[in-house]
Amino acid sequence: MADGSNALIDVRNVSRHYVRNVDEVHALDDVSLEVPAACFVALMGPSGSGKSTLLNLISGIDRPSEGEVIVAGQPLSTLDEDELATWRARHVGLIFQFFNLIPVLSARENVALPLLLTDLDKAERRRRAETALRVVGLEERFDHFPRTLSGGEQQRVAIARAIVTDPDLIVADEPTGDLDARNAEAILDLLRALKNEFGKTIVMVTHDSRALRYVDEAHHLDKGVLLTGEEAERAAAALLAAAGAHPMPPARSDGSS
Amino acid sequence: MTHTRLVLANLGRNKLRTAFTGGAITLAVLLVCILLTMPAAMDRLLEDIASDVRISVHNKAGLVYSMPGSFTRKVRNIDGVAAAVGMVWYGGAYEDGGKVTFPNFAIESEHVGAVYPDYPIEKEELADFVRYRDGAIVGAQTMDKYGWKIGDRVTLKSTIWPVDLDFRIVGRIDNPQSPHFWFSRTYLDEAMKAKLGQAAGFVGTIWVRAADPSRVNSIMLAVEEMSRNSDAEAVAETEKSFFQNFFGSLEGFIRIILLVTGLVTLCIIFIAANTASMNVRERSGEIAVLKAIGFARRFIFGSLLGEVVVLSTVAGAVGVGLALGFAGLLQSLAGGDGSLGPLGGFIITAPVLVQGLFLSLFIGMLAGVVPSFGAARKPVALALHEIF
Repeated sequence: MADGSNALIDVRNVSRHYVRNVDEVHALDDVSLEVPAACFVALMGPSGSGKSTLLNLISGIDRPSEGEVIVAGQPLSTLDEDELATWRARHVGLIFQFFNLIPVLSARENVALPLLLTDLDKAERRRRAETALRVVGLEERFDHFPRTLSGGEQQRVAIARAIVTDPDLIVADEPTGDLDARNAEAILDLLRALKNEFGKTIVMVTHDSRALRYVDEAHHLDKGVLLTGEEAERAAAALLAAAGAHPMPPARSDGSS
Repeated sequence: MTHTRLVLANLGRNKLRTAFTGGAITLAVLLVCILLTMPAAMDRLLEDIASDVRISVHNKAGLVYSMPGSFTRKVRNIDGVAAAVGMVWYGGAYEDGGKVTFPNFAIESEHVGAVYPDYPIEKEELADFVRYRDGAIVGAQTMDKYGWKIGDRVTLKSTIWPVDLDFRIVGRIDNPQSPHFWFSRTYLDEAMKAKLGQAAGFVGTIWVRAADPSRVNSIMLAVEEMSRNSDAEAVAETEKSFFQNFFGSLEGFIRIILLVTGLVTLCIIFIAANTASMNVRERSGEIAVLKAIGFARRFIFGSLLGEVVVLSTVAGAVGVGLALGFAGLLQSLAGGDGSLGPLGGFIITAPVLVQGLFLSLFIGMLAGVVPSFGAARKPVALALHEIF
């Protein structure tokens, strides 16, 4: 881990600015964050708060304008585009709101896609894809094509695709955003199981207040700034109040923070 | 799951679009292959019918102008000339309506065998041609077209001479591409004397056979020198040159067709490129996700380009196959029906086949490279931002 800490993810004074038309947009301003290994973290906040931008920086999809992102001891700024792609393939599993499975491939083939980037032979790729589908509870759906699967099942296939390479880190951008309540709960359950049973570190962007019952930490962003202390507590309370839910701890659910 | 499976699966994503694009490429390659055979077919035709020792002599003013009949004898005496035969256009029509449907000439029958030793005519038939004043030797194409056989009698009505003549077919030029109808010059002269009191006394074209190819140039110079400043200055050219001039307008036509073919190919490239662009646009979400989960730019580029190249190459191979089949069909038809004659010369050679396949590969590369490159180089964060 970086600097001897036990953080799998170490975000140091990161800012992300870009120009949209003629205006400079400050998507993130001087954000620092540490996420320990085997921790399930939610990034929450209103639209445009910078949570997806932070998720992209953590997963090596985007690069910060300033600051440094270190994941599993690897400073991402030292990698060029192709090295970053290879790094993502080995260390990061990605889950999106819209599953974007390839419609002409079966569930097993979709899950096996990331394994094309490995040296595994065809039989081993197939075996691992089937194992990943069993983990997400789709052992009966190996040969089904996406159009024959429900939204929840398609998201499970996407999760299987994210874990098939056994990555250190899983990042999920609104994974329940396109699902009904029952399927959303099931997906959150599955993500928590991945953390509990397989020790995966999971960073999830969500608007869904139900997620607070599943995560170890919730971090709140607003206007590109990571909220801390009372501000963070107020944001969490507001979120829960808006959702009509019972108060939940804003950070670690085990009460350690 | 393999790379090949991924490419093929994506090709099968929109079967109708794939079929239409592939069909367009198939037709383009078929067209190009057929047209690419034309110049070679013309050359082959010339090689088949043109000798390297035969020379055509005709009036410098044009083929329709005549030369004195005595000029044939003078040419025959030029050093290096093995034989020479004079002929004159008869313009005889066999069919009702006075349409001339095959070339027919009055020719000095006794010199035919010496000037055309390479023509497939039986010796006995050549002897009969000399023996019978009303004898005619006819090319296989015309014989087969009208169902004539040796011994048949036919009548031609001349469109330019005031005499109609009856002929006895005594020989066959056994070449399915030969349309000729030759009969004795003496027969025409006698008929003219009977009708008008005098023979024509001129010749249209003289065909000369040189003793060997090295003498051809000197003979041509001598012929032209011999007629210089006369009333009918003559010009000499090799048989190949003579037929090339005949086919000259056709070659221009071929050039136009090749130009059009190039434009058609360009259109097909644009169509295929448009299809590839549509594919990339429709799959931008998937492509963005593929890049996000670790597929490098070169993989995305290779995979998208591979789809277009596989489609165009398979379609091109089908086009080449159809061209082979089409040429084979023409050959078999030409073999059975002499009227198709030169069409039998359209043979898809190995170079044409390779050019067809390379063309399809070229179409795929050119059509696929821009959209594939665009999709591959787009930053992954931007690609994801566009879809989410």
